Amino acid sequence: MSGLILPRRTLLAAGLAMPFVKTAAAQAGEVIIRNPGGVYDDVMRKYVYDPFTQATGIKVTAVAATAAKLLAMFRANNVELDVIDAGDSILEQLRRQNALAPLDYGNWRWTKPDDIPAEVRLPTRAANMLYGSVLAYSKEAFPDGRHPKSWAEFWDATKFPGPRSLADMATGNPYLEFALLADGVPKDKLYPIDIDRAFRAMGRIRPQIRKFWDTGALSAQMMADKEVVLAGLWNGRVQVLMDRGAPLGIEWNENMIEVQAVGIFKDAKNVAGGQKLIDFMLQPEAQAGYCRDLTYGPTNKQAFALLPAEQLTRMPGSPASADKGFYKNIAWWEDNRDRVNRQWSRWILG
Amino acid sequence: MPLGRLGALLLLAPTLLLMLLIFVGPIGWFLSAALGELGSLSEIWEEAVATLGSRTILAAILNTNWIAFLVTLVVLALGYPLAYALTRAKGLAFTAILVCILLPYFTSVIVRTYAWMVLLGRNGLINQALLGLGVIQQPLELMYNRTGVIIGMTYVLLPYMILTLYSAMKAVDPRLLQAAEGMGASPFEVFRKVFFPLTLHGVVAGALIVFILGVGFFITPALMGGPGDIMIAMLIEREIELTQNWPVAALMTLVLLAVTLSLYAVYHRFSAERPGLAA
Amino acid sequence: MPRDSGPATTPAILLEGLTKRYGAETVVADVNLDIAPGEFLTLLGPSGSGKTTTLSMLAGFVLPDAGRVVLAGRDVSKAPPRARGLGMVFQNYAIFPHLDVFENVAFPLRVQRKPQKEVETRVWDALQMVKLTGFEKRYARQLSGGQQQRVALARAIVAHPPVVLMDEPLGALDKNLRYHMQVEIKEIQRRLGTTMVYVTHDQEEALTMSDRIAIMNHGRIAQLGPPREVYEKPENAFVARFLGEANLLAAKPAAGGAVTAKGAPLEAGSGALGAEGGFLFVRPEKVTLSAGAAPAGPNRLSGTIRHASFLGNVVRYAVELGEPEPLLVDAANAAGAAIFGPGETVTASWDAGDCRLLAG
Repeated sequence: MSGLILPRRTLLAAGLAMPFVKTAAAQAGEVIIRNPGGVYDDVMRKYVYDPFTQATGIKVTAVAATAAKLLAMFRANNVELDVIDAGDSILEQLRRQNALAPLDYGNWRWTKPDDIPAEVRLPTRAANMLYGSVLAYSKEAFPDGRHPKSWAEFWDATKFPGPRSLADMATGNPYLEFALLADGVPKDKLYPIDIDRAFRAMGRIRPQIRKFWDTGALSAQMMADKEVVLAGLWNGRVQVLMDRGAPLGIEWNENMIEVQAVGIFKDAKNVAGGQKLIDFMLQPEAQAGYCRDLTYGPTNKQAFALLPAEQLTRMPGSPASADKGFYKNIAWWEDNRDRVNRQWSRWILG
Repeated sequence: MPLGRLGALLLLAPTLLLMLLIFVGPIGWFLSAALGELGSLSEIWEEAVATLGSRTILAAILNTNWIAFLVTLVVLALGYPLAYALTRAKGLAFTAILVCILLPYFTSVIVRTYAWMVLLGRNGLINQALLGLGVIQQPLELMYNRTGVIIGMTYVLLPYMILTLYSAMKAVDPRLLQAAEGMGASPFEVFRKVFFPLTLHGVVAGALIVFILGVGFFITPALMGGPGDIMIAMLIEREIELTQNWPVAALMTLVLLAVTLSLYAVYHRFSAERPGLAA
Repeated sequence: MPRDSGPATTPAILLEGLTKRYGAETVVADVNLDIAPGEFLTLLGPSGSGKTTTLSMLAGFVLPDAGRVVLAGRDVSKAPPRARGLGMVFQNYAIFPHLDVFENVAFPLRVQRKPQKEVETRVWDALQMVKLTGFEKRYARQLSGGQQQRVALARAIVAHPPVVLMDEPLGALDKNLRYHMQVEIKEIQRRLGTTMVYVTHDQEEALTMSDRIAIMNHGRIAQLGPPREVYEKPENAFVARFLGEANLLAAKPAAGGAVTAKGAPLEAGSGALGAEGGFLFVRPEKVTLSAGAAPAGPNRLSGTIRHASFLGNVVRYAVELGEPEPLLVDAANAAGAAIFGPGETVTASWDAGDCRLLAG
C-alpha cells in the first residue's frame, strides 16, 4: 500500500466541504494522522500507533484524505488533522504552500536523526519508508530467466510479446523515466526529463498497453488475472502476489526508488503530539516491523541490521538493490506535473 | 391566480432555499473561487479560449458525448423490456427483478469492477466458456476498451432508466390498451400506436437522466476503459487531484454544466410542445 | 321493431349458453340472446349482475368458459377482439391522451390501413354526425365530458361497424346532457342501421332507448322484452322492483282468485300466484284515488292518506291500507285534480288489466 494517491472514489464536492473528523483533535491526548488506508493502516497500527499509545498515552486516529482534500483543508484554514503520512509528492506540494511545521529533530528521543540519510531527512518531512517502481513479469510467459531485464527490453515487443501495463497519469507519475531509459538515456541523465522525447518513446509501447493502471490494486489484479504479462508497478504490490505463490517475478534492474514520508501541518491542533509520533515511527524496531510486513525499504540504517538478508534483497533502497536503481526526482515532478498532464491528455486522445 | 402562486412560492421557499444552498451553493462557490484565481475577466476569457479551444478538450468532449450516447441507447434497449416485465410481475417475481435491478447500489464500484474482471477478462468466465465451446478461437476483448466502458456504465445506469420507465408504464391506463385492441389493433399496433407513445415521456426522461449522469462519469471509464477512453470528468478530476489546477477544472466543469443544461432545455421544450402528454 | 319485421334473418348477434366463472363464483350463467340486425338491445341490471362481463365476452376481452358467441353467423367465441370488427364506446371513453380528436376518431381506420383520403372523409363524416367539427386538433384534456363522449361515439362508428357496443357510456354526464345524448345516440343508430348492445344500470335510459331490454340479475337474464312489456308485465318481483316504482301487495290464493293479507278481494288480468301465495303488482300511476270509503268490489281498498309529496307533474301519496306495506299512488297534477291531505279517508282502485299476479 504505498498510495501516492488514494483510490479515486472521493467525490469532488464532498472532498471540499465536509469535515470528516470529530473535533476531538482538540484534546491533547490524540494525534490524527492521514495515511493511505487498507493494509498499510493495519500494519502501522500494529508496529507504530498502538505501541506509541502504550508508551505515551496519546491516542492515534487514522483518516483518509486525498492530496486535493489536504490542500483544500489548508486553504480553507480548517486543518483537521495533525500528521500526514503520504507519498512525498503530496508533502512537497504542502511544503510549497508553506503548510508544514518544521520537524523538531533536536528533541527526538527514540530515533537518532543521523541514522536517517540526509537526502530524505528534510526540514519539514522525513521519509518513513522507500518503495520502488519495478519491472514485473509473468514466469509462465517468460520462464527460465528469459524475461526482459531492462526497460529497453520491456519496450521490445518483438522479442518479448504480450500485453503490458504501466502507470496512468491519474497516479500523478506516469513512467516517463522508464520511457527515457528504454530510449537510451542513462540513469543519471534522466532529469530534467525531456517530455517530448519521453512521449515519443511512450507512443512506441502504447499498442502493447492493455491498460494504464490508475490504482495499485488494479495493477496487481491485472497481473494476477494474467490480463498482462509485463508491467511496471510498485514492488509491494507484486511481492504480495509472489508471496501467495503467483508465478510472477521482479526484475530489480533500473528500479525507481520513491519515498513515503511524514510531516506535520503547522496549524495542527496537536503539533507536539505529531512530533512525538514521527520520532517514534522512525526508530529502527518500528521500521523493521512495518517494512518487513509491507516489503518496503526502511530509511533508518539501523533497521537493516534487524532484517534478514534474504528479505533485504527485496527491499527498495536497501544495500542489495540500491545500486541497480535511481531516486525519483520529486521536485521535477512538482514543477512539471501540469505540463505532463496536459501533454498526456493530448497524447492519449490524439 | 397570482395570489395562489405567491402563496405556493412562500410555502416552497424554505425547501428552495435549502436546495439552493446545498446544490447550487457549492458549485457557485467552487466556480467563483476557481475562476477568481485567474484575476480579471479578460484573463479568464484568455484561459477559457486556451483551455476549451484545445484539441484535447474538444476530443474529450466528443468522446464523452459519444460514449454517453451509446450507453443511453444500450440502456434504453435493455431497460424498456425489463421495465415492462416489472410492470407485469407480481409478488416474489417483482421483488426478485427489483433486487436484481438495484443490486449495483449495494456494491462498491471497486468490488463491482473486480467482479467484471472475473467475468469479462481475457481469461474471464465468458471468454473461457466461449473458447471452451469453440465459438471463438481468440479471447474477446471485453474490457479495457470502449466495450468495457459501455458494459460498466450500462450496468450502473440501467436502474435509473428502468425505474423511470416503470413509473411511466404504470401510469398507462390499461383500458386504453384494451380500447385499442377492441378497435382492431394487433398487439404490435397496440404497442406502437398507444403503449409506446404513452410511455414516450418516460423514455425521454430516462434517456436524459442516463445521458446526463453518463456525461459526468469518471470512475467506471477509468476502471473499465482502455487508454483512449477519456471522458471530460476524468480530466476535471485530474486537474483537481493531481495538479490542483482549479481554474481549468472550473472551465471544464462549466462545459459539462452547459451540455447538461442545454439537454435539459431540449427536454423541457419537447415536453411543452406536446400537450397530449400528461405534464 | 326490427326483429319482428320481415322473414327470419341471420341474427346480428347470437349468444348461446354463455357462461363465465371466476373461481367458485359464476358471474355469467347460461345467457342466451338473439339480437337482430339494427336492433337496439340494452343489458340492464344492478352492479355485479354480469352485464359488463357479458359485454366483454361479446367484445372478446374475456373468453367464455362455456357457450358460443356468433356474429352474423360466424362463431367468434375464441377470436381476439380485433377479429370481431365491433365498434365500442367505453365507460371512461378511453380517449387516447396522446392523440388529438382527429387521430382518435381515425384510429380504427388507421389500423385498417385505409388511405388518407378515405380516413379524412370518414372522420369528417363521423365528427359531423356527433356535432364536433372544428375540434379536430384538440386533445382530450382540452374537452368537456360531453365532448369526450362525442369523440368516443364518433370513434365507435367511424369504421361503420355492423355492431356497436356501449358500456355505460353516459354514466359520467349530468342529467340534462345525458338526456340529450340519449336522443342523439338513438338518432345515429337509426340513421346508420347499426346493431347496438348497450349496457346501463339506469332503467330510465334503458326504457327510453331500447328496442328490447335484457334485465340481468345474478348472472342470468331475469326477463327479456320490449320496454313496455318488461315495465308493465314483469315476470318476477325483481324485475318489477328494478324498473321504477312498484306496489307489491302480499296476496294469497282464494276461491276464484286472490285476496290481500287482510282478505280484500283482488282481480288481475294476467299472472298467477305460486302455491304459497305471492304478490299483486300494480304501478303507482295505475291506481286511482277517490274520496270516501270504498264500496265493495275487487281491487277497491279503503285507507287513509299517510303523507303526500308534491313532485311537480305528479303528487305521490302513501296510503295506509292496514296491509303490511302502504300503497304508493301517483296522481297526475292535472287541472282540477283533487288534492288529498294527510288523514283523509280515500279509496284506491285500479283495473284488472293494469295489475298482475306474481309468484313469491
